[in-house]
Amino acid sequence: MKADTLAIHGGFADDRETGSTAVPIHQTVSYAYRTAQELADVFDGKAPGYIYTRIANPTTTALEARLTELEDGIGCIATSSGMAAIASVVMGLVRAGDEIITATGIFGGTVSLFQNTLTRFDVKTILVDAADTEQFAGAVSKKTKLIFIETIGNPRMDVPDISAIAEIAHRANIPLIVDNTVTTPFLIKPGEFGADIIIHSTSKFINGHGTAIGGAIIDTGNYDWAAGPFEDIKKLAQKVGQLAFLAHLRNLIYRDLGGCPAPMNSFLMLQGLETLSGRMNKHCENAKKLAQFLENYPKIEWVNYPGLAGSEFHNRVLKLFKGSGGGLLTFGLGNRQKAFRFIDSVKLAKNMANLGDAKTLVIHPSSTIFHEFSTPEQNKMGVTEEMVRVSVGIEDFEDIRSDFEQAIEKAFKAQK
Amino acid sequence: MKLIVNGTKTNLSDSLTINELLVEKSVKMPDMVSVEINGKILRRTEFETTTLKENDKVEFLYFMGGGLWG
Repeated sequence: MKADTLAIHGGFADDRETGSTAVPIHQTVSYAYRTAQELADVFDGKAPGYIYTRIANPTTTALEARLTELEDGIGCIATSSGMAAIASVVMGLVRAGDEIITATGIFGGTVSLFQNTLTRFDVKTILVDAADTEQFAGAVSKKTKLIFIETIGNPRMDVPDISAIAEIAHRANIPLIVDNTVTTPFLIKPGEFGADIIIHSTSKFINGHGTAIGGAIIDTGNYDWAAGPFEDIKKLAQKVGQLAFLAHLRNLIYRDLGGCPAPMNSFLMLQGLETLSGRMNKHCENAKKLAQFLENYPKIEWVNYPGLAGSEFHNRVLKLFKGSGGGLLTFGLGNRQKAFRFIDSVKLAKNMANLGDAKTLVIHPSSTIFHEFSTPEQNKMGVTEEMVRVSVGIEDFEDIRSDFEQAIEKAFKAQK
Repeated sequence: MKLIVNGTKTNLSDSLTINELLVEKSVKMPDMVSVEINGKILRRTEFETTTLKENDKVEFLYFMGGGLWG
């Protein structure tokens, strides 16, 4: 089946007892067995079965199966948030004294996890420029246990050469983790370019309506866990082969950290996936039109959208995302006051800390999602005082354009 | 045809697809099972198209419980 069909039918083929075609919401904590022996067998691994929703839940299993098929992976674990997905993966791989390599222009929450939280456990993170592949190679040491990148850095909008970075990781015998939140499997399946683990914040484009927080971890099957430097996972690979890393998470890290999704939220993500393909097309189409409009608008100093023909990442966008630049862009209004005034003046677009919603969203990253970082740190991460980030929605483009035009004009009038 | 299924030697009269083997072996919760052939996890789309060969090692793995593996 093709991706558009898998998004609707993957992971679930009608409820056998009731005929329900929507995935049932199994809103339960635990699962009853008739006899003591049956439950003992499930705990022993002698019989399949659900035990407790913190470990697995049938609604969530359907979501995991659908995401596995869409990413062409070997298995998936859905989580309570994108951050829970990243935390589970990273804590499943690193120990005190280890190092992580990541890019400067990625999501501030991920940088905070790496630099603030993991530093407390003596894990060091080295930040490099996502656009400069050689910096990744130069940062690898014997202590490096993983490389983490985003398909398009948010908000820096830089596009890493995923295949080349995968080669660097694999030469060092470590996995490459790729966050595919902003591009989704409809623009890229990172496994085809060598990624070993794929991360999603499903709260964004997959949910698509800003109604639930969630995340996902997908193993692409590319990495040989039996030959890696992770002794505990290597042992598990003797028993469960390629599924060793996901088993390590399911049976230890994910189970112990407790980042499981609510069954209702898994249902909302399944619903979102059914329309993701059509929405992504419209997000990308509108974002490109808005980027071109802003690029030609005399008052706008700069626009950063990798889908523009003049972008330094245009060739990578063609190679990795079949030419689609995604639904996010940033642009500069000259200073913080104008950026604030623009945000205060939009009528259709919403000012909020989210992306991937059907609605057009705007935010001033410097004073909000990156407020905990100093100005020099922000600048390194691609965040400036004058910058506005836009998650371009799927409304009629003319309505988005006229909203932006009137808000830009107001932002500049207020300066007089 | 000889196979090893979950570590146990098994004889089959015919060559079967993975979906047919799931029925033949009365595998519990077939929608939930992951199937590994000779160390490689199959994509679910391959269950219908993959035919078992002599001496294949087949493992049924479940991805739903805590400590539930085969």
